Amino acid sequence: MKSLTASLLAVPPFGAGLPTSPKPPAVGLPLQQPSFPACCQPFAQQAAFCFSLLMFATMAIAAEPISIHSPGFPPSALDAEGRLVEDWGSVGVTLSGDGVADGPTTLQAIKLDNLVPAAQATTNRGAVRLIRTAFRAPAFPSGVDVLTVRLEEARGRPAEVTLGLDLPAKSVFGLRTVRLGGRVILTLTDESLDNRPQRDWGYCDEATSLPGWAKPAVECDPAFRNIRAGMGGVPILYRFAVEPKSAANVVLGLCESHWAEAGQRPLSCRVEGAAAQTVDAVGKWGQHKPGALIFAGRDENGDGKLEVVVRPAAGAKDRNPILNAIWIFPAGESPNLQRLISGALRGAALRYVDVGGENDQSIYPPGKLEYDIKLAQGGAHELTFFVACPGSSAPTPDTSTWTAVTLRRAAHDVWRDWPKK
Amino acid sequence: MSLQHHCHSCCLTRRQCLQVLSASAVGASLVSVASPALGQDSAAPAQTDFVDAASLRPKPEVRVCGTFLEQPRPYWLGWPGTTYDLDKHQKEYRTLLDQSVARVGIKMDWEPKPIDDDASLGNWIAKVKEQKPHGLLVALQHMQCWKWIERVAKETATPLIVFAPVGTAFTGHVGRAARLPNVHIISSLEWPAVEAGLKMVKAKRMFEETRVLWIRGKDSNETVMDRLGVKIRSIPRDTFNLEFDKQLATDEVKDMASDLRKKAQKIVEPDETDAVNSMRAYVTAKRLMAAEKACAISMDCLGMVSARLVPTPPCGGWTLLQDQGLTAGCEADLFGAISMMMTSYLLDRPGYMNDPVPETVKNLLIAAHCTSGTRIAGFDQPAAPYILRDHSESSLGVAMQVLWPVGEPVTLVRFTSPNEMIIDTGKVVSNVETPPAGGCRTSVEIAMDNIEDCRDVKGFHQVVVLGNHRRVLQGFCELYGIKHVHSPQLSTFAEGAQT
Repeated sequence: MKSLTASLLAVPPFGAGLPTSPKPPAVGLPLQQPSFPACCQPFAQQAAFCFSLLMFATMAIAAEPISIHSPGFPPSALDAEGRLVEDWGSVGVTLSGDGVADGPTTLQAIKLDNLVPAAQATTNRGAVRLIRTAFRAPAFPSGVDVLTVRLEEARGRPAEVTLGLDLPAKSVFGLRTVRLGGRVILTLTDESLDNRPQRDWGYCDEATSLPGWAKPAVECDPAFRNIRAGMGGVPILYRFAVEPKSAANVVLGLCESHWAEAGQRPLSCRVEGAAAQTVDAVGKWGQHKPGALIFAGRDENGDGKLEVVVRPAAGAKDRNPILNAIWIFPAGESPNLQRLISGALRGAALRYVDVGGENDQSIYPPGKLEYDIKLAQGGAHELTFFVACPGSSAPTPDTSTWTAVTLRRAAHDVWRDWPKK
Repeated sequence: MSLQHHCHSCCLTRRQCLQVLSASAVGASLVSVASPALGQDSAAPAQTDFVDAASLRPKPEVRVCGTFLEQPRPYWLGWPGTTYDLDKHQKEYRTLLDQSVARVGIKMDWEPKPIDDDASLGNWIAKVKEQKPHGLLVALQHMQCWKWIERVAKETATPLIVFAPVGTAFTGHVGRAARLPNVHIISSLEWPAVEAGLKMVKAKRMFEETRVLWIRGKDSNETVMDRLGVKIRSIPRDTFNLEFDKQLATDEVKDMASDLRKKAQKIVEPDETDAVNSMRAYVTAKRLMAAEKACAISMDCLGMVSARLVPTPPCGGWTLLQDQGLTAGCEADLFGAISMMMTSYLLDRPGYMNDPVPETVKNLLIAAHCTSGTRIAGFDQPAAPYILRDHSESSLGVAMQVLWPVGEPVTLVRFTSPNEMIIDTGKVVSNVETPPAGGCRTSVEIAMDNIEDCRDVKGFHQVVVLGNHRRVLQGFCELYGIKHVHSPQLSTFAEGAQT
């Protein structure tokens, strides 16, 4: 129960007070912090980060890291291997494929648009030339680093390579973001969404896992204690690999533990191929009472994925959808919902997901983001990522309008008008 | 007029008090970080130095492309109908458009011929993508043209205003298109709504051309706000009081101070020195903005007054800046300042950010602060009457009690982030006197529209602006992807205690 208490303390009271303007979960800093007093933490973190940069610079005499910054903010650095070093760790680029070879990296400080300081690392990798360019964009309140990875075909014939981003092992991959301890450390831009390998099932949304959030008042499957929540109206989305066009019975489990009265958090639940169901968990089963909905699902579009989505129902006062559990059974096999709720059918299901709990997972594999890239003769391909810099989180696509173009323009405008001493 | 100083907690003369305050300011400057432009050793301004406030207000280039969308002629059945005189209406709208373009001050590239088929539309979209205008305006001339709206919105990815004169749309058309991102639909015969749409594009460009000085703490840096594009230059708080200390009582200062007193309906607390100091703050703010290439200011004024770093809060000076179209925000509340910019840039009138007080007996909202502009009906309109008061919390300096017109509608607007705006409306019931009330000098009682219980009014430091501008503000939000919300219509207190 200790971890349950800790997890409850780590997140804001769900839906409390402001049902129509929910606060997002606390983000911005990793959960594991050194035990400085609260008032000193920002300084301590910056000092530690600057010290680590200094140590790094001292050790890597052969190729000094090149720092990037925006006026008035602590720097990040591109190191001798072309890794972007931040206060949370670093991000590097891996390459594999036919004709890809090792090669030395050259590092240089450049000015984008003759104005914006940037760092660029270039490596000849046999079949391709790899160029990483990073600059600090002055996005309010603390900035964000923009990392562009460019691949250029180098041998005069088409090339196929796999490009990966090497991130800390505990990174969690969402649809558009990579998080570390709740902090968004990387955002994928529109052009960086395609060609990513996927597991055969998992969530692919920007919802938040809240283990131990629910408090079922009866003996039941342990999955009813945990949820994922779409803070601010974000839909909860799961995909399961299935035979194209195949059918399955899908059961969604819900347990509402914040609202005592009905009508607060009606949910719209949709399983691909089945009619959508709107449910008000408190109205249907009561507060702290587990309940289940069954759907006759089918891979309707034939893409080999069965999709499950939970959204806030139209007019919901609390716009944060929740989901506790998913069971998938063969088509035609109708489970006894009482037994399912009690936990007796976990082993009988084709797939059982403790949503927000221990066996839950992102559909994207951890540790690496990978892209399969085909380059035409003499062709090039660019991917851009927004990377959390010291003291910041990367912008979340749900609320942000930043693009690589607008961030670069912002950097240009700030450097243009910043007084030169 | 008494020259007794208002620093009641000590026994110094006014001159001694100012000397102490100046000395403490100098001391503080030794440990502060300098502002980017002025540094710590900037020279004192000369007697003749002058910054024209009008030169500080952003004047962006605004380019809009537009066209009529119609079906091949002649019309036969289907709305707007065979009797709809296309040439006559298009001539009339072109005339109105030319007038609006001149009034708003934008560049309009209007297609010489109406677009009436897919190929012409494709060519226009290609041209728009090439020219990258700041906004688009299309005027619908047939109900069958709605199919093109989604295409234009998606393919151009440019904020789109759709004027659908009555006779060219049903609710289904408007409802669907109005849910597209960055689209504002005007289904009406009211041409001023089209002009307001053009002003939305201009207001957004003004945000993008704005640099706000955020005067607080010790930081010196610059960032840019998502979505709105406002540049935020943080400068150390001490910059202001250091520059204030250097600011002489120039002819400009004296003239402004004299004017301030002359135009007041009544003077209660402030003396001549207070007025001079208040105008020194005004001129200091203008100089700082000019030096930092800024056109708005948001300052930790209360902290500065609390630390007794200046002999006057900036309230009086802030009122004058608001009247000249320059946002001057209180308490370093950044989104309060950005909300003030909204009324200045879109509605051409100052608002004031307020501390909201529920008057629970009469079920009214009292909106109170010390920095209301006086040109509340518009920058080019006569000023509202005001009484010269001091800043009530400190009993220092000059603050205006601006008398808002009883019975007139008002709008309360507040950005909670770049992504959300609270919009509420009401009507002025009275101007609250202090005393007997405590709190701020401009204190306006408002009967809120469609809010059953005054305790439910959302937000803090919402900006109060004269007139009901709900629809225009909502239109701006929809054009730029900002969620707009309002306070609960039905009481949230009706069910009693909540656990």
